[in-house]
Amino acid sequence: MTYFMVAVKRITALINSFRYQSLFLFLITLLEAWRERSIELYIVAFLLLLLKVIVIPHFLFETVRKIKVNDSLGLFVNSQLSLFFALGLTYLSVVFSRLVITDGNTFKLIAVSISFSITLIGLFIMSTRIKALAQIIGLLVMENGIFLIASSFSGGMPFFVEMAVFFDVFVSVVILGLFMYRINKLFTHIDVNKLAHLKG
Amino acid sequence: MILILLILVIPLFLSVVSLLMNNHRRLGVINSAGYLVIFLAGIKIVLNVSLGNNPIAAFNFFYCDALSAFFIFTISIICFAASLYSIGYISSDVKNGAISIKKSGVYYLLFNLFSFSMFLLVSVNNLGLMWAAMEITTLVSAFLVGFYNSKQSVEAAWKYIIICSVGIIFALLGTILFSYAFLEGGGIKTLNWAEMMLAADKLNPNIAKIAFIFILVGFGTKAGLAPMHTWLPDAHSQAVAPISALLSGVLLKTALYAILRFGIILNKSIGPGYFSHLLIFFGLLSLLISSGFIIVQKDIKRLLAYSSIEHIGLICLGIGVGGYLGLFGAFLHLFNHAVTKSLMFFSAGNIVQFFKKHSMDSIKGLFWSMPFTGAVFLLGTLAIGGLPPFSIFVSEIMIAQSIFNGGNYFLGFLILGLLAVIFGAIINHFSKIIFGVKTSSGEIIFREGLSVKLSCIFLLVFIIGLGVVIPPFFKNAINSAVKVIIN
Repeated sequence: MTYFMVAVKRITALINSFRYQSLFLFLITLLEAWRERSIELYIVAFLLLLLKVIVIPHFLFETVRKIKVNDSLGLFVNSQLSLFFALGLTYLSVVFSRLVITDGNTFKLIAVSISFSITLIGLFIMSTRIKALAQIIGLLVMENGIFLIASSFSGGMPFFVEMAVFFDVFVSVVILGLFMYRINKLFTHIDVNKLAHLKG
Repeated sequence: MILILLILVIPLFLSVVSLLMNNHRRLGVINSAGYLVIFLAGIKIVLNVSLGNNPIAAFNFFYCDALSAFFIFTISIICFAASLYSIGYISSDVKNGAISIKKSGVYYLLFNLFSFSMFLLVSVNNLGLMWAAMEITTLVSAFLVGFYNSKQSVEAAWKYIIICSVGIIFALLGTILFSYAFLEGGGIKTLNWAEMMLAADKLNPNIAKIAFIFILVGFGTKAGLAPMHTWLPDAHSQAVAPISALLSGVLLKTALYAILRFGIILNKSIGPGYFSHLLIFFGLLSLLISSGFIIVQKDIKRLLAYSSIEHIGLICLGIGVGGYLGLFGAFLHLFNHAVTKSLMFFSAGNIVQFFKKHSMDSIKGLFWSMPFTGAVFLLGTLAIGGLPPFSIFVSEIMIAQSIFNGGNYFLGFLILGLLAVIFGAIINHFSKIIFGVKTSSGEIIFREGLSVKLSCIFLLVFIIGLGVVIPPFFKNAINSAVKVIIN
């Protein structure tokens, strides 16, 4: 799914693929919750579903509709090359997880490499797309990756830390959305490569 | 216990008040009164915790030892000064028509939420919650950076929030890896750092090292360490003046606090070498990069922002070199920089309000057009450059001496050389502003409000007082904070 995100060129497609990625995350957490019979994990899973699958994508769609921006993402690096980079980043994350996972648990190794590569690809999306919206999505993708790392390491963070993180992510998306709205109003575009008033 | 709750509840209460009132002057006075209480509570916390050697712990949620107490004390002083300054500053903004009366209420709301999140950050006992509080500081202050809603300020806010969020996500990754290192090494699953301290010897060293890199990069972004500093000059130059003081004076320091918390555990488990090398490296890099930008700077508030990067670099060097003297110097410097830089941003705020320009080429003859601000700005310039008898001189000498004591002469001379260059550049830039020939528009003399004058004098007392003598109360407070780190 993350590879798909790297390849897409349109904003709506990007938001949708983020929604599916979060859906997968929800299913994994639900599975985990079912296996461990933990109420806290169930709550986390349903918050995931509520916030990341329903509310945040909906909010982003609304914002895009309101600012009437054209649907092209504006790629600095084209789809094919992006995919190639994404593969490279995946390789990097496998190397990284070999460093971290020392107990020879292959399942954990794979889980950590996948989630770390999601984080890196999130960063990649942020830095190589022109539209401000792609940066928000990139940030969310990074956060998804981190969430997955946390659950593959140790079954997640402590419960109320998890809650605090959710709250922060949600608020930050809303605030970023507001700022994107303001940028669009003041500059009449949301192309971050043209934000260059402040230098030196 | 009650004290910690007090400093957290008052800002929340005041933020509700600011929503309800629409008289900005009265609101400002109430605000300052609240922060005066917080300031007194801060002193009491230092007395109880640092001098009584009696950490506060409550609900398995708050934990306040001498290190936290020192940071609470510093934050409370700067918040009090900023709230005092805000009364006059916001009134003139409303009078000039820069903001509406309704927006002044929003300002006080955000101001209070911002200081609440900083107090929360230094008083929780859990590394995960500390992370969350750090993210809240970013989110709230982004609105204060973009407050004037101009093209520049919205751009600065966007950059600020994006760069710091990415940084802080790396810090979250680091935090998770850190807790994993405990799970690997000792089978303990916790993010509570008091528990982590007790189990520090069980840490898996290799994973902890990797984790700390992420943490240093992540929180270092927020602390303004080069090369992750790029958001800082934009945000500091565009924010409302009292907020610039808070950002530069204390927000950067709270990020250092977070790094220190991890560093203490790391030091206890794998020895101080790794931590100190990394801090020295980033500190030196910050000093080098900021010195270059200070020399060529044209914008008055950006220059002050780069000077903050310089001082953060110096503090990191002091912490990195370590030892009793290095740490004492670093903490003293942290406090001195907070008060001095706040004073500078306050007077720069007055200047920008009067001249309506940031560019130093168009600001001339400060002494004649704004006598009080001119005098304060002159004293502040000398202090920030590190001249005696001002307090920054004392702490800079301590840090330099600790480097020389460690036998690292090359590093010592390099740093003294850089400090001399920066001093020269700052004096060169600011002497033109202060003494230059007054421009034609300088017929009118600017009168500062009483609250603005009071806040500047309040800070000057610390700047000059600590340069002459370090009172035993303050010395003991720093001593016990240093002891938390050295153990």
